[in-house]
Amino acid sequence: MDLRHQLELFPDCSVTLLLFNHVKNAAALRKKAMEGSIEGALINPAMIVDPFQILVAANKAVHLHKIGKMKTRTLYAEIIFSLSPNNNISDAFKKFGISDSDTAVLIVLIVDREKTVNLEDIASQVEGQQVSLDELPQLTDTAKVKKMYKVTPQEEKIGTLLDSIVCRMSTKDVL
Amino acid sequence: GISAPVVYFVDYVTNSIYLEDIVDSITVQDHINSVQQSGSDTSSLLILAEKMGELLARMHDEDLIHGDLTTSNILLRPPTEKLDLVLIDFGLSFISGLPEDKGVDLYVLEKAFLSTHPDTETVFKALLKAYAATSKKSGPVIKRLDEVRLRGRK
Repeated sequence: MDLRHQLELFPDCSVTLLLFNHVKNAAALRKKAMEGSIEGALINPAMIVDPFQILVAANKAVHLHKIGKMKTRTLYAEIIFSLSPNNNISDAFKKFGISDSDTAVLIVLIVDREKTVNLEDIASQVEGQQVSLDELPQLTDTAKVKKMYKVTPQEEKIGTLLDSIVCRMSTKDVL
Repeated sequence: GISAPVVYFVDYVTNSIYLEDIVDSITVQDHINSVQQSGSDTSSLLILAEKMGELLARMHDEDLIHGDLTTSNILLRPPTEKLDLVLIDFGLSFISGLPEDKGVDLYVLEKAFLSTHPDTETVFKALLKAYAATSKKSGPVIKRLDEVRLRGRK
């Protein structure tokens, strides 16, 4: 039901993804996230095309966290920021974080390999149905994603949408 | 819009770049060698040459100079028959709109091509033809290529 993936470059870290649909308390969840009273990065699944996109963001966030060079204040905020193709933090939260009216939420957790994480505890705070990550493509708003990442039709002929997105995420500091 | 490995992660601490691994790919160099060794007619390489010409034309039209064009810096994604090309190794690349730089880029490839793969003059000719047909700015570039050849510059 959930996806737990170990980061190759940071083997003691594993990334867990939980997907929820028919969510009724997005506003409350967003508030909890802002207060820091819920564990995890709460992301709008409409902007995600593939779990790999999250792994790339998480990898970058963990790396920056380890060297003390994060641009945001918490690891989870950094993951959301890393998803963005630009360097505007509040824009990243607006576009990739959840909004009060959202009915689907993707929760990303980073756990130390030794520790077990209480997924039920987090899931119980969501008033919605936990679904398999296989349902993610159905929740993706491809048009919105292409617009956000400014993907050209020319590019789409050469590679996948995921390729274009990952490139922008990983090279935004250079451009 | 140029086919190259996807950049996954840039580590500024160790100055390393993590790129996509194109599994089971072969270099164009190895492909040409195997075609020649198997005794096949080089005419089967003409379509490959056309695709290479088109790819380089698009790259140069974006004013991107590769800087180290050789047949071992172009990969073929599996299955090989699809002729899905991927450019790699941009360590010497730079941006330039100058026909001189593009001409030299092609000249480097021509020298590498002809010295590594004997009897492939017709193949390279086909590459240049496709390049000229695809690129919007090929005229001055081909002209400079001719001049560079005469100068014998590396």
